[in-house]
Amino acid sequence: MSREETLNELKKVIAPYTTNKDMLSSIDDQTDLIRDLKINSANLVDIIIDAEATYDIEIDYDSADKMINVGTCLDVITEKLSQK
Amino acid sequence: MTSIGNDIVALRAINITRSKQFNFYSKFISKAEENIYNQQLSNGISFENFVWLLWSVKESVFKYLQRIKPDLVFSPSKICITQLRIPTQNLVMEFEGNKTEGRGFNDETVYKTEVAFGAHTLYSRSVISSEFIFSAVNQEDDFENINWGIQLITSSDPEYQSKDVRMLLIKRLMILFPGVELSVDKSPYGYPVLLINGTEETAIPVSLAHHDHFVSYSFKLSP
Repeated sequence: MSREETLNELKKVIAPYTTNKDMLSSIDDQTDLIRDLKINSANLVDIIIDAEATYDIEIDYDSADKMINVGTCLDVITEKLSQK
Repeated sequence: MTSIGNDIVALRAINITRSKQFNFYSKFISKAEENIYNQQLSNGISFENFVWLLWSVKESVFKYLQRIKPDLVFSPSKICITQLRIPTQNLVMEFEGNKTEGRGFNDETVYKTEVAFGAHTLYSRSVISSEFIFSAVNQEDDFENINWGIQLITSSDPEYQSKDVRMLLIKRLMILFPGVELSVDKSPYGYPVLLINGTEETAIPVSLAHHDHFVSYSFKLSP
């Protein structure tokens, strides 16, 4: 899966939890999940669980801690996909 | 450096089924923490309330520490609840009207924890109502100087949450400091700072939180 394809799937994962849906179409690596996409921190675990199901991967504690912006989310997902 | 942290979880906004699933709660709750529930609370509160109680404590700890270490990343699995003391009377408090504020906490309705994060030991006070779970964190196991407030608001839009929680805090401070022009700004690192006359940062640490239709604040006054 290319980074662009991974990003497109990630947008679907994030969509239910962001209140800034206008920004979703233009997100890039620097987009912060909480500050920019206005995702409540209480939903961060939901995003990790949904990403695990979407990409059929397992995201451990340490990797989950890195998922604070779109770029780090893509890095973690790409790494886990490559380990499958 | 003194700091403060608080968090609120709106229970109507949580997914109860998911909260109880191992693959969800195990992302931030350890086996040792799960044992606290089994040993002390399984006959008292629901497991989903326990899950979100721990989340709110851990989030409050992060907010407390972020003021001291601005580049800190939220790692809830590394914030460990080492002790939990349950309320002496009511496990679930009554929330009437749309607002409650106070200074310190009543032992009858408050959950107390000791929390470890690296070399730091912090303490929390939490209340659970049928509608929300609220937590505040301090570096001492004494909350007499901790002021707090919780309000049910009409819109869950982030813009309104932000405006309403600031208004709630400032109204409370105006009672304590009449005639002083106070306002809330955001530091470059994202935590709130209390300003006097619009520019000068005060020494009063403040913390703001919101989730769905609830907002909350805490701040610490020197004795």
